[in-house]
Amino acid sequence: MKSVQEQIREKPWLGWVIFIVTVVVVFFLGLLASSIIERRSEAIFAYSPEIKFSQFEPRNAIWGEIFPREYNTYMKTADTSFRSKYNGSAMINMLGESPELVVLWAGYLFSRDYSQGRGHFYAVTDIRNTLRTGAPVAGVASPQPNTCWTCKSPDVPRVMNEKGIAEFYRGTWETSGSEIINPIGCADCHDSKTMNLRISRPALIEAFEAMGKDIGKASQQEMRSLVCAQCHVEYYFNKKKTEGVQYLTFPWKNGTSVEEIEKYYDEAEFSDWTHSLSRAPMLKAQHPDYEVYLTGVHAARGVSCADCHMPFISEGGQKFTDHHIQSPLNNIANSCQVCHREETERLIMDVNQRQDKIAENRKILEQLLVRCHVEAKTAWDRGAKDDQMKEILTNIRRAQWRWDFSAAGHGNSFHSPVELGRIISGGIALAQEARIKLARILGDEIPYPDISTKAKAQAYIGLEMEKYRTEKKLFIENVIPQCLKEGAEREKGY
Amino acid sequence: MSFLKKLTPPENWKFPVLIISAIFTGLFLFSFYISNAPSYLGDKPETCVNCHIMTPQYTTWNHSSHRSVTNCNDCHVPHNNMVNKYFFKAKDGLRHATVFTLRKEPQVIFIKEAGRKVVHKNCIRCHDNLITDAKLLSYNRETMEFRKERNCWDCHRETPHGRVNSLSSVPWARVPLPGSVVPAWINNLVNANSN
Repeated sequence: MKSVQEQIREKPWLGWVIFIVTVVVVFFLGLLASSIIERRSEAIFAYSPEIKFSQFEPRNAIWGEIFPREYNTYMKTADTSFRSKYNGSAMINMLGESPELVVLWAGYLFSRDYSQGRGHFYAVTDIRNTLRTGAPVAGVASPQPNTCWTCKSPDVPRVMNEKGIAEFYRGTWETSGSEIINPIGCADCHDSKTMNLRISRPALIEAFEAMGKDIGKASQQEMRSLVCAQCHVEYYFNKKKTEGVQYLTFPWKNGTSVEEIEKYYDEAEFSDWTHSLSRAPMLKAQHPDYEVYLTGVHAARGVSCADCHMPFISEGGQKFTDHHIQSPLNNIANSCQVCHREETERLIMDVNQRQDKIAENRKILEQLLVRCHVEAKTAWDRGAKDDQMKEILTNIRRAQWRWDFSAAGHGNSFHSPVELGRIISGGIALAQEARIKLARILGDEIPYPDISTKAKAQAYIGLEMEKYRTEKKLFIENVIPQCLKEGAEREKGY
Repeated sequence: MSFLKKLTPPENWKFPVLIISAIFTGLFLFSFYISNAPSYLGDKPETCVNCHIMTPQYTTWNHSSHRSVTNCNDCHVPHNNMVNKYFFKAKDGLRHATVFTLRKEPQVIFIKEAGRKVVHKNCIRCHDNLITDAKLLSYNRETMEFRKERNCWDCHRETPHGRVNSLSSVPWARVPLPGSVVPAWINNLVNANSN
């Protein structure tokens, strides 16, 4: 066969054919490749809006302009009309429901005021209103540090970004009053560029590091729980980490079970306060929702917080995540019934049954703990020695830690009834153990105090409630409007 | 071997043929790479959102109870035998790819007859016990024709994707899209310059 050059020299059209065929093939292959690239680039924009504001935009309404459906449903967290058998979105005065709690928390601010929280919409309002933050008027400091704001607002990551993490925590609570004004919202969980879920609170990232895990490796489905776990967890304020700072820390280094966290606190020789009756070094469980959820069957099946508390809903041909974060008991159809085929009433009954059964023994433990504290106080009054009381006080600490771990979480008794049953029965054994030892010291029966109402219980432990309420009223009337004014002034510059 | 010999270009043609076929191969490999082609051999649901227009289907499945027991292929390709599975997958996949490339996708995607039959058989594959009675040895029309010949979703209309599936039905849904084709180092350069 002749060479190409020779053939083309003889028949010039052959050269043109080769040329054109190559052009056509390269043209179409190139077109295909560029089409794939185009459509892949499309994907980046198709489901991510163009955002003009920064990650640290704290005003939820600004995000809401672009995400009206999510924002509108989020605003429904302002609705306080739903009450389930035990919880719901209404504010419930827990000290009124169970005056025993006043005695259990004697010497700690929780004995003054403790209510079942309302929706996220009220996060900032409710922390201002609670008696636990005190009445910092005219130079008087709040009993709480700025750390208390951490879970309340998308202003928190903004200020942390400006000042640094430890500097955010530094100082007493009232000093950030005009900085933190927007309630929990968009920027707490979302990345402003991609709208992906995002961890905005350093405490959770640090807790993962302490456990030797990397939160950056969490899957999308895990993130749908972890954004909640930024706040709905057990935590404490570590005073040893940075000088003069109460550093928000999750006690997860040893693990997240009730015993592992207790071990962590014991090793750190940490106590939240010393009980004013029994003088026991107490632990206050916050709301170990995530930790307890992890032990339940829904977690084991890969169901995330958002699956039940923020289900997918349809509205006018659009499907999106319901940002009305609430009790699934108010929305059985979109939560439980996605998987469970039973009737609504039956499903609510199932939940209530579990809660009833846990509440039954938790109440017993509550009353045993009241007896423990009262009996220990009597023992001290009768001249008991430190070494006689040491083990008793440890037992009381452990028993109440178990009670609080079970009681403080919002939906614990449904999220993991078996684990809670185990924890509470352990608590009962420890409380009775303390009382057996106390009986050896005391020798006679100590009467159960009359704490049938919240007022009686608070009088019993010597609280001047009227004074706290009057001071709080002054604070709300005089200081809050000033904070709001300064905050609004600052936001004008955004 | 003689066949291969016939394919081999004559000595003087070798160089241009080499160049041209290398261009074709290169372009082909490039398309293969950016279209994430090897993923189509597997069963991962993420593969289906290589094309972002499958986002409504992916995200509705991911919010349904079926997400814990099925992937896309469990329902949408036949499982009677291996050959049929891959034949159907290739056939359907090439049709999808063609429609997608030509930008001929409709605003609301409806299942085709062939796909409908496959899905229906796959419903029955798992839920057989729900529609037939294992205690009955005899054939009866109530459990066979009346039940199996209607589409399951004529009644179970929300299962599992819900009833609205237009391309714009799930604004801002978070699904594992394949991400940017621009390499990270270029992105970094661009960002560094714009800041």
